[in-house]
Amino acid sequence: MKRKILDFPIQHPRLIFVGLAALAIGLGAAIPGIQIDTDPENMLSEHDPARVFHNQTKDQFALHDLIVVGVVNEAEPEGVFNPASLGRIHELNERLKSIDGVIARDVLGPSTMDNIEQAGPGTIRFEWLMEEAPDSPEEALAIKEAALRLPMLRGTVVSEDGDSVALYVPIESKDQSHRISEEIEAIIAGFGDHTDEFYITGLPVAEDTFGVEMFKQMAISAPLAALVILLLMWWFFRSFALVLSPMIVAMTTVTITMGTLIASGFPVHIMSSMIPIFLMPIAVVDSVHLLSEFVDIYPKTGDRKAAIKEVVGHLFAPMLYTSLTSAAGFLSLTLTPIPPVRVFGVFVALGIGIAFVLTILFVPAYIAALPEKRLTALLSAKRDASEGGLLGRIVEAVGARSLRFAKPILVVTVAAIAISGYGISQININDNPVRWFKSSHKIRVADRVLNQELAGTYTAFLIMKQDTDATAEIVAAGDRALQGASDSIRGRWDALKAEAEVHSEDEVSNVADSLIEATSDLVFDTSGEESEQWQSVQTALEEAQTRSKTFQNPEHLAYIERLQEEADALPLVGKTSSIADVVKTVYRELISGEQKDYRIPGSTEAVAQTLLQFQSSHRPNDLWHLVSPDFRESAVWVQLKSGDNQDMMSVKSELDAFLTANPPPEGLRAQWAGLTFLNTVWQDEMVGGMLESLMGAFVIVFLMMVLLFRSPVYGALAMVPLTITIVFTYGLIGLVGKDYDMPVAVLSSLTLGLSVDFAIHFLERARTIQTETHDWRQTMSLMFQEPGRAITRNAIVIAIGFLPLLGAPLVPYNTVGFLMAAIMAVSSIVTVVLLPSIMMQIQDRLSPKKKSAAPGIDDTPASIATNKEQTA
Amino acid sequence: MKTLTKTWLAAVAAAILVSTLTTSAQAGDLKDASQIVNRTNEAQYYAANDGRALVRMKIVDGKGRSQRRQFAVLRRDLKDGGDQNYLVVFDQPADVRNTAFLVKKHASKDDDRWLYLPGLDLVKRIAASDERTSFVGTHFFYEDISGRHPDEDKHELLETTETEYVVKSTPKSSKGVEFAHYTLRINKKTFLPSKIEYVNAQGKVYRRIETAKVDTVQGQPTITRLKVSDLESGGYTLSDVSNVGYDLGIPDDIFVEGSLRNPPQKWLR
Repeated sequence: MKRKILDFPIQHPRLIFVGLAALAIGLGAAIPGIQIDTDPENMLSEHDPARVFHNQTKDQFALHDLIVVGVVNEAEPEGVFNPASLGRIHELNERLKSIDGVIARDVLGPSTMDNIEQAGPGTIRFEWLMEEAPDSPEEALAIKEAALRLPMLRGTVVSEDGDSVALYVPIESKDQSHRISEEIEAIIAGFGDHTDEFYITGLPVAEDTFGVEMFKQMAISAPLAALVILLLMWWFFRSFALVLSPMIVAMTTVTITMGTLIASGFPVHIMSSMIPIFLMPIAVVDSVHLLSEFVDIYPKTGDRKAAIKEVVGHLFAPMLYTSLTSAAGFLSLTLTPIPPVRVFGVFVALGIGIAFVLTILFVPAYIAALPEKRLTALLSAKRDASEGGLLGRIVEAVGARSLRFAKPILVVTVAAIAISGYGISQININDNPVRWFKSSHKIRVADRVLNQELAGTYTAFLIMKQDTDATAEIVAAGDRALQGASDSIRGRWDALKAEAEVHSEDEVSNVADSLIEATSDLVFDTSGEESEQWQSVQTALEEAQTRSKTFQNPEHLAYIERLQEEADALPLVGKTSSIADVVKTVYRELISGEQKDYRIPGSTEAVAQTLLQFQSSHRPNDLWHLVSPDFRESAVWVQLKSGDNQDMMSVKSELDAFLTANPPPEGLRAQWAGLTFLNTVWQDEMVGGMLESLMGAFVIVFLMMVLLFRSPVYGALAMVPLTITIVFTYGLIGLVGKDYDMPVAVLSSLTLGLSVDFAIHFLERARTIQTETHDWRQTMSLMFQEPGRAITRNAIVIAIGFLPLLGAPLVPYNTVGFLMAAIMAVSSIVTVVLLPSIMMQIQDRLSPKKKSAAPGIDDTPASIATNKEQTA
Repeated sequence: MKTLTKTWLAAVAAAILVSTLTTSAQAGDLKDASQIVNRTNEAQYYAANDGRALVRMKIVDGKGRSQRRQFAVLRRDLKDGGDQNYLVVFDQPADVRNTAFLVKKHASKDDDRWLYLPGLDLVKRIAASDERTSFVGTHFFYEDISGRHPDEDKHELLETTETEYVVKSTPKSSKGVEFAHYTLRINKKTFLPSKIEYVNAQGKVYRRIETAKVDTVQGQPTITRLKVSDLESGGYTLSDVSNVGYDLGIPDDIFVEGSLRNPPQKWLR
């Protein structure tokens, strides 16, 4: 069976070429239909309770994702509060409103906000803060003074120091934010000569811009890596024609996999955009093993068909197993609760399968079809290639020493593991989509400047909610008022309730309002005792309704006030805002305008009437961003100066502790929402999920290894390089203080797949050679020939091949590039240096007492022949 | 004098009515947009010499959540199309009961406005500003309740249909207004607007006021159901007017600050 599979490509190379080309073109045709999804929110399943609540909150409080535009002026003594700068800000403020996708009515800025202030004794004034740009410096300063007096604006629209201004641009959907930010930039560019500096930031801009850059990187980084890999292989194998085949395998694999992914209707998320980058080394590695052996064997016989058959026959099993284990590593990602990571895992696993099939089918067909003169070139360069040149000498020398210093090497390894263990304990789990850009990126610059000037561009919401059924309580109050009333009146009341119920379903109104209206009509329409009775029902209903308005109750507002004080005291919190701030501000202006009256009035009625005044402004609906119209839910806005997940977590745990120590009155429930908060939720799931999937994969790979080698000892040995690589790389991350973020988490599965690859090849070959030599020392020195070279070559190709990623402007790509190099370096060194040392130490347990049969996975005589030739 | 004017106007209206019946429909149509708008202003805001109404407003937001306001209004005209006085006393929701507004509306200068908040036991004067702020959180603007002075806009008669005049009104000054222009559809007989649409700078209708019901009370065509819609947020406010009375003889001396704290119950119901 295997024979047939192996012979087929050599006999029908054309069929293979045409078939693959058709497949690649067919599926590749789907790629232009690509849909990009850079919304980190999608890291959570649509049904995730935290995400569902976040979206309910957004809907309930009419909250939209915000683009923040900051204006700073260092040249003017009063910052931007001069007529010219404010003129530009006013123009920007007005023009923003007509950008498509901007929710004009909710744009926050000096021109679209109301001022409330004293206008002489006993007089209050509501007006636009800046209806027109000021004409004089005095007017400009007056605008600043007014804004600084309004707690809702201070630190948000106007910086604390009164030098800068920020506009908050609500947008309909996040995926438009890059375009909108570009339109804003275009307006700013039209301002001509001035000393103002404009900065644009906000999580949606960062996320959407990341998508745009990511798209560019897929077109730049991945092909650049491919080019470097190609050049390196050319240098190693000295035959361009030959090394083209791994590249074709890699490209075809990527094309087919991405084509399938896109054709299946999956959007390309940040994770899936890295599939090409992950698949490339995996696809190349198998081919490099094949070519390595081919260039060793072919010159000896000169019969390419025989040589390639022999090589494939010989490597089929180890390649199948490395592919299966790598695929298992990635498939384990489906254990995580994060949808994009699961898609990523499944398609990388699929890609690995495709790469294996392509390697087995395409490379032999390709070699069989190569023109003769291409291979003659190989024959002439053969000495160099098969002896390995400089690389070969180095590997051999290192190998020889490693055997001599086996014990010290083990000691060093143990020490390295210990240090790595400490490093792992130092790992800092943190992420922040804004930090996915390099520090010099304009979004990062804007983020730094604006978070220094303003109260914070990252927002989380602490939602306080009264859970009881208000309507039931109000109706019950009516029932109580009619205890002992005549049957006819109670019958009438029951009818009213039924009517109100029907009414509330038919049209927009609520049961309590309908009942109050109906009873108040009855008070007029009836007379005498009956009228009085209805009056008492009406009063009872009204009292219950007033009571139901939780966040009009001064006691509850005072609790929120305390909570805010607690939050404001945290260094990471720039500012908090709530319904209490609105009440206090309007109350202050109603009473005297003086700070002593900046407080919550004493009764629910006073609060309601204060708020009625706020609602008589230009923007009455701003109230509903802070409280629901039934006053039973309220949102405390927490503005953070940092969007780092760990900063959000620390603020949350501080405030949660306050909520536990000081329980809110009357069973109010507190819950978190907001993009900044949501990022911590998926990070949490990711870290936990990745650990779980890594553990799962580790066990599966171990079992596969035991099965493959039919030996627990070999199985355990195969796990050594990957274990040390994982421990070492993550130890390194901990030691250098690099945050453990999304790309770092996902790389663990790649480590698993690639490190075990080297170990399988090494152990399988070592065992085969040992069955012939019956001597471990001799086996090892043979291992430092071709097998050692193949592994080292592979490691170098991949490690250097991915260095171009370090030039990308996106940090996750840099991380992948760096870690890929580290993983390759560590796992190859561990395999070539440490494995022999360990094997020498435990050689008695490795060789069976009696000479056993060939090592199960490979029973073709070809492999023995190969080794004989090599030995010779 | 005033009554005379009224009678005269009624006579003219009757004559027009008769003429429309006897001759072609177009014969009696008014041609001057300003004249039409002035008539509308009077029909809508100056019916009779004084008036009383109970207003129930239901505010519904884009998500279908509702709130309501209920208040009584007393009005007395000092001059048709000119100065008039309003007293507004809230009854619902109960937590704002007895909150009151006193407005002395002036044709040629800013209105005088006072406010009484019983929960704070506070009378406050409200300084003049633009009049396009929300009326107590409803989708109506203060100006929709008190009437926009016809002189603030330039009026252009776009069309005269079988039953309606269509007038386009463009503000003379863009200061204090959020619209570029608005279009009024005015009933030829009652001179009450049936629909007003506000158009923004982008040329989009973003706000609409529709007359849903007109009743004739004491011979006065009166809008008893009015709906204002915010087309951007999807919210609307429905205003139902009942208990309407005209020419009740409401005395001028109740439109004083003192009535804010002690509303004249006699006239309110």
